[in-house]
Amino acid sequence: MQSTACLAVLLGLVCFVASAGNENARLLASKTILNNFLVEGKDLTVEYNIYNVGGSAAISVQLADASFPETDFEVVRGNTNVKWARIAPGSNVSHIVVLRPLKSGYFNFTSADISYVASEQSEEPQMAYTSSPGEGGIMNYKDYDRKFSPHVLDWAAFGVMTLPSLGIPFLLWYSSKSKYEQIKTKSG
Amino acid sequence: MDSIFFLSFVAVLITFPVFCTGDTCLSPVVTPQVYSTSEASLTSETAVIIEFSLTCKNHLKDLNLYADFNGKTFPVSRVQETNRYQVSWSEAHKKLPSGKYAVQFFDEEGYTNLRKAQRSTEDDASNIKSLFTIDVTHQGATSGAWVQTEFIAVSVSFLIWYLAYNTRCKLQK
Repeated sequence: MQSTACLAVLLGLVCFVASAGNENARLLASKTILNNFLVEGKDLTVEYNIYNVGGSAAISVQLADASFPETDFEVVRGNTNVKWARIAPGSNVSHIVVLRPLKSGYFNFTSADISYVASEQSEEPQMAYTSSPGEGGIMNYKDYDRKFSPHVLDWAAFGVMTLPSLGIPFLLWYSSKSKYEQIKTKSG
Repeated sequence: MDSIFFLSFVAVLITFPVFCTGDTCLSPVVTPQVYSTSEASLTSETAVIIEFSLTCKNHLKDLNLYADFNGKTFPVSRVQETNRYQVSWSEAHKKLPSGKYAVQFFDEEGYTNLRKAQRSTEDDASNIKSLFTIDVTHQGATSGAWVQTEFIAVSVSFLIWYLAYNTRCKLQK
């Protein structure tokens, strides 16, 4: 389970070279899942990184991720469809979305779409894809809790249950001891 | 007639700069929503997300904003067809301990000034006036309890056994 979750943290880069020449903007985009464990009902952090390795700024860069269906994921914070006016050459931008998986089981994390205009002169938007993190196993909340929760309540219950078997003999002994000591001091 | 024309021309000249400030957002009203990672055991890095809606007095829309956090600048992304913006980044858990952080936001002009100040050694980058600031109160990404409950349970049971054994030894003497 853990190893499959780790698989989801695979960082790959899918590059989409726009056109020949260094004058145009060229974007490399990655989509990474920052989680060590994917747990149902717990925060799932998805990070997108876009690097401009080209020679000019990328204009009206749009990132759209439609790979999280509403039936399976709930957005906690962040947007899955955003736009940057420009990404300067040699710079990178990061974007994070936090989701909450509603179901457990395996989920295939696919790539997000990117579109951008590669240079001031060109009109046509350039399409690209981010890397895809791949398949990851989303853990059942009960299983996760059993494994990783501190079990404070369980231990407290255990303590209360062991109390009679320890406490009753102790009290019996203590009362007889104090009685014996009373007699001892009186007679003494 | 001529004097009236001249006067109105002067009036236009005086008021012109007021209309010309169209590029900067006047008295911005910001409603932020901030997220930061709270469970360190779940994620490998601490993520910070600042989402905000921005309304300007002069009804500016689709602004190009930049965020500055501890000397690092990020371009702010826009959510399409809304006045909502988002900036987000991630950092190692240790590099972002709990506390209050101020994230400054700049428009194009402020960002250019900031970059200039950062490049030159003479100018102080902190003097550049930001458009607005959003405070991030990070609770800290906790990685569970300091000691495991199993350890506490074992040590408590050992303590009880030791006390009982000690008392029994004393009695048998």
